Amino acid sequence: MNTPRMSPETLRVLQSFLERATDWRYGYELSRETKLKSGTLYPILMRLEKYKLLEARWVATQDGVPPRHTYRLTPNGLELAKTQLTEARQRSMVQQPAFCNGWE
Amino acid sequence: MLEMPLRHAATVLLESAIRIAPPDTREWGQAMCGELSYVDGPWAALMWAFGGASVMAKHALLSLLIPGRRAGMPPGDELFAKNVSLRKTALVAGAGCILVALLFFGAPPFRQAFRVALRPWYFVFQITSGDIQPRFEALAKRAEVQHDPVGLAFCAVRLRNSRESARLVEEAVRLDPNLLWVYAVVGMRHADLPQISQWVARLERWDPQNALFRLIEAESIEQAQALPSAGSDSTEEKERAWRSAMDAAFQSPKFDDYLDRVEELNRKVVPRYRFYDPYEVQSREELDLPPFAFENSKRFAQSLLHSGEALEARGDRNNARSTYWTVARFGQLIDSQGRTALEHWAGTTLQAMAYRQLQTSSEKGGNQAEAALFSYLAAKFDPISGEHASLSGESAFGPNTSRRNGAVVEISGLMILIFSGFVVVAISILIAGSRRGARPAAERTRPVATMVVLTCAVGLLFSCVTLYLTYRPYWYIFQSAILNGNRVQTRDLQEFLSSTQMLPGVPHHVYVLLDALLYSGSPSFLFYVWAGVTLLGVIGLVLILLRHFLGRPRANRLQHHPRLP
Repeated sequence: MNTPRMSPETLRVLQSFLERATDWRYGYELSRETKLKSGTLYPILMRLEKYKLLEARWVATQDGVPPRHTYRLTPNGLELAKTQLTEARQRSMVQQPAFCNGWE
Repeated sequence: MLEMPLRHAATVLLESAIRIAPPDTREWGQAMCGELSYVDGPWAALMWAFGGASVMAKHALLSLLIPGRRAGMPPGDELFAKNVSLRKTALVAGAGCILVALLFFGAPPFRQAFRVALRPWYFVFQITSGDIQPRFEALAKRAEVQHDPVGLAFCAVRLRNSRESARLVEEAVRLDPNLLWVYAVVGMRHADLPQISQWVARLERWDPQNALFRLIEAESIEQAQALPSAGSDSTEEKERAWRSAMDAAFQSPKFDDYLDRVEELNRKVVPRYRFYDPYEVQSREELDLPPFAFENSKRFAQSLLHSGEALEARGDRNNARSTYWTVARFGQLIDSQGRTALEHWAGTTLQAMAYRQLQTSSEKGGNQAEAALFSYLAAKFDPISGEHASLSGESAFGPNTSRRNGAVVEISGLMILIFSGFVVVAISILIAGSRRGARPAAERTRPVATMVVLTCAVGLLFSCVTLYLTYRPYWYIFQSAILNGNRVQTRDLQEFLSSTQMLPGVPHHVYVLLDALLYSGSPSFLFYVWAGVTLLGVIGLVLILLRHFLGRPRANRLQHHPRLP
């Protein structure tokens, strides 16, 4: 399966999606949770959607306000997010100093 | 208070960005626009809009650069990837363009044009002394081996190294005494040579009426006088000798700079040695003519006119006018028999000076009709505003066209180098990406590299065609001058060659500064600057390539990391 580049920012977005895996999420809401600006967040969302890891839909709003785009991870996206976040945690553990405990 | 205008500005910004975005990304722009109403605070909304607009702008730019880009395709496989035949077609088209561009190098006019196009960089990258002319030195060696007097004379006339030039001319005259006149041409350019007095003596026996030898002798005396070793007694003696030489020059009935013989020499030597370098052959024969002879003439003419004024003040009007006429006659001689622009300019200057003095003399004598005639002549020969103010020679194109063509040729030559560089880099990337086991990054860049090869190959071909078509008329003028002695339009060629000595857009004073740096004994200064800049550029490029191909460790590759369970 082709996967997008897993930058730390992408992992943050995936982490945010995983926290409420079944919910549809708004862009601004994700931006606040991940502390990413729109110029960083949306390219990640676009890339995830391109790889079919994310699904999007439009939600109608009250009159005079534009409709909102909402997002949710697909089953593939959920699986990949879990794998990648697990690996990232392992990696962060591997990168700890090898003899850290011995010197304490 | 600012909330509404800022929010409005944010909306306008984002909507404008959506308009320029490619269709497949507009939905995302609308998504960002839809969130604007929910962003807390007007400034945050504006920053949100800026971020969104930058995303849209980036996609708009990418769609311009990579027209085949589609949102639905995974990156790296976007252009040409799904259509191998299209990529092959692009590569074949690119190769065809490169092949045709290379074929241009088979045409002599194009090779000459390419050398001319790179000429302005000579000043920038020159690392050796201005006296060193490797092409001429190689040619002189060949001529020496072949005992070819005309080849030696050809080099002697153009070499800047005075001692080497003197050695070659001595050898040429020894082999063929009919080339004695070359002494005069070399003497004009190197009046500081110790052999000048011997040469002038031989030349005077051969062509006793020519004023040129006297001018060379006077300059030789002038240069010896300027040496720090010259004492006060010898200075007076040399001043007398200088005046005597100049007086003899002004009395001479003939002036011949032997440029017609130089042209004949060109016609013999250039085809024989295939030395088709327009700068060295065509422009240098005139550009290298030093103005000293004319500075001396002007100084001597001024002293004659002053002595005439003194005679007139004493009441000796006839001798005074005779002195003025001596200056006018010498000016006429140089103007009518000289062949270069500098000689015509000097001739008209002397005439204007003399006629102005004659006008004053006639006014003092009460002859108004004669004064009006001399006034008319002085105005006619005025070197700044007179009829002869413009440079002589036929100029069909005019200086503006020559300058424009010079700029086109220089830019075309530069573009050929740039496109060639891009083609080489892109082909290297294609080769690296096509190897078995190539890194994914190298494989991903192949579509872009294919596009670069195609566009740069088209650019290369276009630049070659432009260079060839622009230079071709000048090539014909040069060939016609060299092979047939036809000097029609050589002024156009010289103006064109002069314009190509400078980069378009670079002011003249920058070149004066460069020239001063290059010829002031520190020629390596610019070399070190350019070498430093180039080295930094290469290091930067290598670092970029290393970073790109080696890449940073990626999270999705860590599953294969040997240290992980």
